[in-house]
Amino acid sequence: MEIAKFIPWLPLLAAILSGICCMKRSLRDYASWIVLAAVAASFGLSLMAGSHITPESGAVTVHFFEWIHAGNFKADFSYYFDTLTIIMLYVVTGIGSLVVWYAGGYMAGDKGYARFFFAVGLFIFSMTSLVMGDNLLMLFLGWEGVGLCSYLLIGYYYEKPSAVAAGKKAFIVNRIGDLGFALGIFLTFKEFGSIQYAEIFSQTAHLNTESATTGMKIIPYLLMLGAFGKSAQIPLYVWLPDAMEGPTPVSALIHAATMVTAGVYMIARMMPVFLLSEHALTAVATVGATTALFAGLIALCQYDIKRVWAYSTVSQLGYMFLGVGVASSVGGVFHLFTHAFFKALLFLTAGSVMHAMTGQLDMRNMGGLRKKMPVTCWLMFIGCLALAGFPLTAGFFSKDLILGDAMAKGITDHNGWIQILAWSGIFTAFMTAYYTFRLWFRVFCGPEHYVMGDDHHGDDDHGHGDDHGHAHGSHDDHHHHAPHEMPFARMNLPLCFLAVGAIAGGFLCHHWMESMVNASSASTVNTAVEHVATAVEHATDHAGEVAVNAHADTGGEGHHASLFGMDVHKAVMIISIIAALAGIALAAYFHLLRRELADKAKQTYAGVCDLLENKFWIDELYDTAIVRPLKLMGDLFFVFDRLVINGIVALVGFIPRLLGITVRHSQTGVLQGYGLGMILGLACILLMVTWMLSSGF
Amino acid sequence: MSELYVKIMEIRPEIIMLIGACCCLMVGLHRSAEIRKLTVAVAVLTLVFAGFYNAWQTLDSDHPWTLASFTKMAVCVVGVLLLSFASGLPDKLKMSRDAESHPEKFDPGNVMRGEFYAFFLFSLTGVMLCGGANDLVWLFLALELTSLPTYVMVATGRDNIKANESGIKYFFLGALAAAIFLYGFALIYGATGVTNFDQIRECIAVTGVTPLFTLGIVLSIVGIGFKIAAFPMHFYTADVYEGAPTPVTAFLAFVPKTAGFVSLILVLTLTSKTNFRMGNPEELQIYISLPNTVQAVLWVMAALTMTIGNVMGLMQTNVKRILAYSSVAHSGYMLVGLLGISSCVAGVTSTNGAAGVMFYLIAYALGNMAAFAVLACLERNGDEATDLDDLAGLSARKPMLAALMLLANLSLIGLPPMVGFAGKIYMFSAAVNAGFVGLVIIAVVNSAISAVYYLRIVNACYFKKADASQTELVPTRNRVMVALAGAVLAVYLGLAGNELARITNQATIANLFNGKIVRQVLQDYPQAMGGEQTAWNIEKNNP
Repeated sequence: MEIAKFIPWLPLLAAILSGICCMKRSLRDYASWIVLAAVAASFGLSLMAGSHITPESGAVTVHFFEWIHAGNFKADFSYYFDTLTIIMLYVVTGIGSLVVWYAGGYMAGDKGYARFFFAVGLFIFSMTSLVMGDNLLMLFLGWEGVGLCSYLLIGYYYEKPSAVAAGKKAFIVNRIGDLGFALGIFLTFKEFGSIQYAEIFSQTAHLNTESATTGMKIIPYLLMLGAFGKSAQIPLYVWLPDAMEGPTPVSALIHAATMVTAGVYMIARMMPVFLLSEHALTAVATVGATTALFAGLIALCQYDIKRVWAYSTVSQLGYMFLGVGVASSVGGVFHLFTHAFFKALLFLTAGSVMHAMTGQLDMRNMGGLRKKMPVTCWLMFIGCLALAGFPLTAGFFSKDLILGDAMAKGITDHNGWIQILAWSGIFTAFMTAYYTFRLWFRVFCGPEHYVMGDDHHGDDDHGHGDDHGHAHGSHDDHHHHAPHEMPFARMNLPLCFLAVGAIAGGFLCHHWMESMVNASSASTVNTAVEHVATAVEHATDHAGEVAVNAHADTGGEGHHASLFGMDVHKAVMIISIIAALAGIALAAYFHLLRRELADKAKQTYAGVCDLLENKFWIDELYDTAIVRPLKLMGDLFFVFDRLVINGIVALVGFIPRLLGITVRHSQTGVLQGYGLGMILGLACILLMVTWMLSSGF
Repeated sequence: MSELYVKIMEIRPEIIMLIGACCCLMVGLHRSAEIRKLTVAVAVLTLVFAGFYNAWQTLDSDHPWTLASFTKMAVCVVGVLLLSFASGLPDKLKMSRDAESHPEKFDPGNVMRGEFYAFFLFSLTGVMLCGGANDLVWLFLALELTSLPTYVMVATGRDNIKANESGIKYFFLGALAAAIFLYGFALIYGATGVTNFDQIRECIAVTGVTPLFTLGIVLSIVGIGFKIAAFPMHFYTADVYEGAPTPVTAFLAFVPKTAGFVSLILVLTLTSKTNFRMGNPEELQIYISLPNTVQAVLWVMAALTMTIGNVMGLMQTNVKRILAYSSVAHSGYMLVGLLGISSCVAGVTSTNGAAGVMFYLIAYALGNMAAFAVLACLERNGDEATDLDDLAGLSARKPMLAALMLLANLSLIGLPPMVGFAGKIYMFSAAVNAGFVGLVIIAVVNSAISAVYYLRIVNACYFKKADASQTELVPTRNRVMVALAGAVLAVYLGLAGNELARITNQATIANLFNGKIVRQVLQDYPQAMGGEQTAWNIEKNNP
């Protein structure tokens, strides 16, 4: 277990080596191999750690070194391994190695090749630190680290103004969330006297909603603000779609599979604290379901392939929040796990399309690519099935678990609101299926036509003859004329692994996931039992007691709640299968069979389409309501600073000069003068001393 | 064994240094030019050997670090850097070049080499002896052994009129200052009738602090103020620093200052009193206090020294003069740290002002040395180039040197993560704990003012256009290495200075506390905070 503490440090070492590779042109191409080897080694170490940490073994803390000990504040570089950590490590290092593998081919020939892998290595370091830290400060450290890497990679093509702006936007929007997160950490220290998980959880074990202090009940609200920022939820989701300015592997790794799920991880990790507050989880669920619906609506009418996946990511993250919000950590984390596979797959295949079309992303400018890129086509098809929740794919299992748990909780708690959220989730599932296959049919089916993009990802993708060649040199001469398939070993093979995960990740991991998550701090089972214990004392009527019992069981095995006379989970499963199939069918009708109908519908509902195409005008709204007033205020402050503050500073700065001019005359350069000065000074001091002595001071 | 024997055993590193210095004198005048060139090597070897011997003596035995062993160690380590900075200096002089140019007509009268390195070692020996002083006479002799060679070293460039002027000024004013503190020592002897530190302390414990004794202490403090360039003894600083060759200036900024501060700590321990009180939380604290008059004198000196240093620094355009006044200002900060001695609590590192001063001496030496070493790489018409304008465009011509200059100045300003910041925190927090909040505010404001002239140097390096100037860059390897070592150490100790802080605390604690009283307190209250460690230190230091 001791060796597991090196999981973050190997990628960091690789990042440093890549940094060195930046300096020398001939070394540049090694960067991807170094980082790939390190991340894969970390994955190996994670597997080893996973063999030690089982649902029965409990949590293990591995001490690395003392970091801060100040007063009673203690934060060490220690790593906390429980089953949740292991799941996250699998996702981060596993998906991470596949994406790095792919990126090695994708980024080939880019002039910032080593810089890219430097940032990716640093990202894996930060992300693994984030999930492994044994205290909130280390979580925060990793949190900010991944934020930094995200910023660096969004602005990777720094010659493009839009990329720079997107990087800044992501950074600033995240600051708002981080403010809440930081305050949450402070408050945690104030309330619990510690920021170490083990310490906090040992205290929460003896607390419930009634014995918790007000401060403790505020903590979840602050923490969730941070989670909403990092995981792109309403109202802080605006940065994620713009973040697609970065290279596509980054979109896949950071902005779909790993970093953006940090918020979900944090809430799952801090679940015992969230359970202390009556309404915090409901708030999380509400924001999650609303975001899922909202982003799904926007995704319906987007034409940019990566933006569709971006809004889809926001929407799927909303599902995860809905999951943890209805105390179904298993559902939330499970969806996080499966989503990582299929969304990374979707982004990377989108990247392949973009690569093949030299930067073209608008799906109106492409169609029928199935023949040109058969492997990519079917890989994306698998991803689409999983995202749409097609029965027996990975997304189907996890999404159903969330929706079923949400519905069950709504019914057993007699909570109408949560039932509404669950229904909205089911509606979102329908939309998801529609927009997913709308994209796939548009891009790969129908008559073959394409307009090549005018720029490349990276302006000299195929430019340097010496830099490139091993990746896809064979089609270099004709790539400007037609799309081409990607090289298999360098780019398509890692995608196959992802595809396997997207198909089989659901039914293979279903039970494993349940036992793993329930054995971690994210578990809601134990605490639910405690709720029963306390609630029974207060239960006066029979109905209340039944409800409470049912509630206690939702986290456990059987489900007594029923919908339409069926077990809730079964009913929801059937409904969402219908929704998914209906969505796919509708997409097939409009975008495969009768495309002219889709155009007609678009004309009929021009207003709605316009609204959705422009993303509800949210960016513009933020701009007028927040950004502009702030800028105006900044200008005012600038003027104030120039006139008033600067004036005062100039005045203060003048005083020492004045003093200097006065004292300067003592410095004549004449020896006698210096001697006199010394003696006079001594005399003054002696006068002072004698006066003090005589006055008995 | 007799007391004399013990004492001699203790000063073996100094004896090594003296032997080495004598060897330098002889080698420097050897008939063969080849062997004469080895003088530097002899000096370096002597220093390294003395340093290793001292380290071995301290670490091998059960002894903890003491003020003496720490001073010796610091002098040896920084001395090696200073020596590599100064190496080659005497050979460059026109006079000695002439004397050396004809091998058959070797003129020993005009060659500086042997004397220079010998005086260098003699002066360092003086500082080393200061640290171990336990007698007023010893302390006086050690201080003078530090200073006398420096008078000659300042005038090394005998063909340069400015250097001669500086040497004369430095000598006369130094003599005046020596008279003042010798008078102070005489008054202390007059008040107590003894010269041994322990005996003086015992005597004062019986009679209490008499006015005569206080006057003696005050005169000593003011007189020793010359070594550290504190008000009112700071007048010479700018002229002497400017006139002396740059490596010697760097030497002056560290060696006499260290001797001065070590002596000040020793003089202050004569008047300090070991007390104990109930701390908060319920823990018995052993602490020391200084008489009000002494505190007042130090307060005034500290406030005026740093203010005058910084204000005058603002006026200068000559980098050597800027750094001279900065040296004055830094003495002011260290006097603030020295005030932190009062109410120093046993076992609490952050309250030990004397340790802060010892730490800061190293911090200051590193930054200062790096700045001077970069400066020494510039030449104008074969002469030292020292104007701000001479630095213009350095970053474009030698980015590495400019970066080192930047780091050095950042450390001198006291910005994190440089060691200057750590040192200031150490000293000022001790002073705050001792209750000198007002003085610390003055010190912090002064640090802010000082940033102006340090940044002016950086500004010249980075943002001024080189005006086709006649400044030549002669980055000799040893000077670049010294600058590099200074800057790197300044960063390293800024990040990982904890060990050094621990050692300085250990080194000073035994001198500050009165062993008898600590033991007595421990007998009555065995749980007293930090007392055990302190008593152990004292025990080990007075075997």
